[in-house]
Amino acid sequence: MADALAAVFQRPNFLTFVIIFLWGFYIMVTRYNLVKKLVGLYLVQTSVIFFLVSISAKKGATAPVLLSATDPVQAFQYANPLPHVLTLTAIVVGVATLGVALALCAAIYRRYGSLDEEDILKRLE
Amino acid sequence: MRQHLPALLFLLPLFAAISMPLVCLKHRGWSRPIAVTVLSIMSVLSIINLISIIQDGEVRYAFSGWGPLLGIEWVADVLASVILVALSLLGLMTLIFAGSTAPKNLGGRIVHFYTLILLLVAALTGIVFAGDLFNLFVFLEVAALSSYALVGVAGGPALFAAFRYLVLGTLGASLYLLGVSYFYAASGTLNMVDMAERLPHLLTSKAVVGGLLFMFIGLGIKMALVPFHAWLPDAYTHAPESVSPILASLVTKVALLGWVRIIFWVLGAKVIVYDIPVLLLVGILGTLAAVIGAVLALKQQNIKMMFAYGGISHIGIILIGVSQGNQTGFVGGIFYLLNDAFMQATLFFWAGIAMCHYGVQTIADMKRVKQAPWVTGALVIAALGMVGLPPTGGFFGKWYIMLGALEANNYLAVGAVLLSTLLTLAYFVRLFEGIFFPEPTQSDMRHHDIPFSLKLSLGVTSTAIMILGLLSDPIVRLLLAQALPPGL
Repeated sequence: MADALAAVFQRPNFLTFVIIFLWGFYIMVTRYNLVKKLVGLYLVQTSVIFFLVSISAKKGATAPVLLSATDPVQAFQYANPLPHVLTLTAIVVGVATLGVALALCAAIYRRYGSLDEEDILKRLE
Repeated sequence: MRQHLPALLFLLPLFAAISMPLVCLKHRGWSRPIAVTVLSIMSVLSIINLISIIQDGEVRYAFSGWGPLLGIEWVADVLASVILVALSLLGLMTLIFAGSTAPKNLGGRIVHFYTLILLLVAALTGIVFAGDLFNLFVFLEVAALSSYALVGVAGGPALFAAFRYLVLGTLGASLYLLGVSYFYAASGTLNMVDMAERLPHLLTSKAVVGGLLFMFIGLGIKMALVPFHAWLPDAYTHAPESVSPILASLVTKVALLGWVRIIFWVLGAKVIVYDIPVLLLVGILGTLAAVIGAVLALKQQNIKMMFAYGGISHIGIILIGVSQGNQTGFVGGIFYLLNDAFMQATLFFWAGIAMCHYGVQTIADMKRVKQAPWVTGALVIAALGMVGLPPTGGFFGKWYIMLGALEANNYLAVGAVLLSTLLTLAYFVRLFEGIFFPEPTQSDMRHHDIPFSLKLSLGVTSTAIMILGLLSDPIVRLLLAQALPPGL
């Protein structure tokens, strides 16, 4: 038990990721307001992005620009740039999704005059 | 030239989509002819591409000349090229169909409507060709974003269906991305070929197992596999008549193709994770989906709802086929996927025509289509395909799937395919009962002349169901010879 706990706390970034992910998921499932659902969804997306960034972190490493043109390249001096690039793309995708989602919310509000899921479902029937 | 065809096939609809809002700023009437031209060229190119790939072997396209490990790689093999031909032809048919069924209240925004359809086709092309896992995610999301917008484009009840689709779809995409980052953390690569070399040594890693699970749930939501199918029926039923055919025929099937790529090309067909064969798991879920989808379809009154659940059950049948772990089953599954794309397109074209011109929404209204024999004829052909009777492609697809299941001694799967066939027969009998033996109620006949474009698209797709049946032997031979995954 103590070992398992120690293993969990050894990687605080993974713990943070799990907490943010589940928090977002909880908000998505329990809230009836559509915009609140979106907040939960965005937290889920952000947690995945956070996970991607955190696995590429390296102590004492710097941005992947060569420190010297003559010395041989030492991998431990540089952070891995690929996860950051993936993160950028994932952020762009997330923002685009949020844009479409908010546009849909606005259209739903204009039509039904409410953002509450139960109200809308009642009117749909 | 041949080397660049895969990239051209993607860039053509993409550039058309991007430039359309500018080109059609003053002349919104141009949008449809431009879109139809672009997709016609794309269909011709995709056929040329298929022929060249069959003759000279697969093409691996490295973008900007960066090699596979550093840059983005696209793989155009026979499997991808065959699916792409179906994809571009169905995209073209949808555009022809959209001419007179596009939502009337769009006005100037009709330009954006065609832009979104082109963007969807471009993104699906990207998924089909993608050779690395992250690329697959990006194109999945582009395709999903355009589908959310297309579902909600007409307003009304579709808005809420689109919102639900968006929430579930984005959750699926996030889970898929999480799976990809687990795989990346474990193996240090994203390229499918490279990862296939490294994964066999990593199968005991919890990161790989977790990543596989997250990817499967994510793609399962995208392909509407049974426990995750809740978004699909509402979205396809409320989507505009001109949009549901392309969504139903392509979006879920292409997500399924992505999953097939991951289990067969990245993990390998015989992979066993912690004593559990992955294919067995997929097969069980497919069995459940095939039966549950058909049962739910039988319960529906709304015809589009019924067709949507029928599509869910067919996703299960395709999964049963590919998960048998032998060549016959795999080829049967892929052949059935092709057929199912055309059958779903035919069914939703039919539902669109019946809705727009005869006001048919539920089974009770079905008697109104009796006055147009050719419309009923197209439904008969689609029904033959869905049930799986001999002259159509659906029969041969199911035939090979069952042969594969018998070869693997998997009688449960055989039973599930048979049961789902019987249930499919049952719900089509209900439809035809509605047409030929209507309950006596007063009917308000409203009949307009059906435009040629609708007849053309419905005619082409229903003919395609028959042609696929007639050509099943060469297609299956081709798939058996050139489209099998390594190690199967």
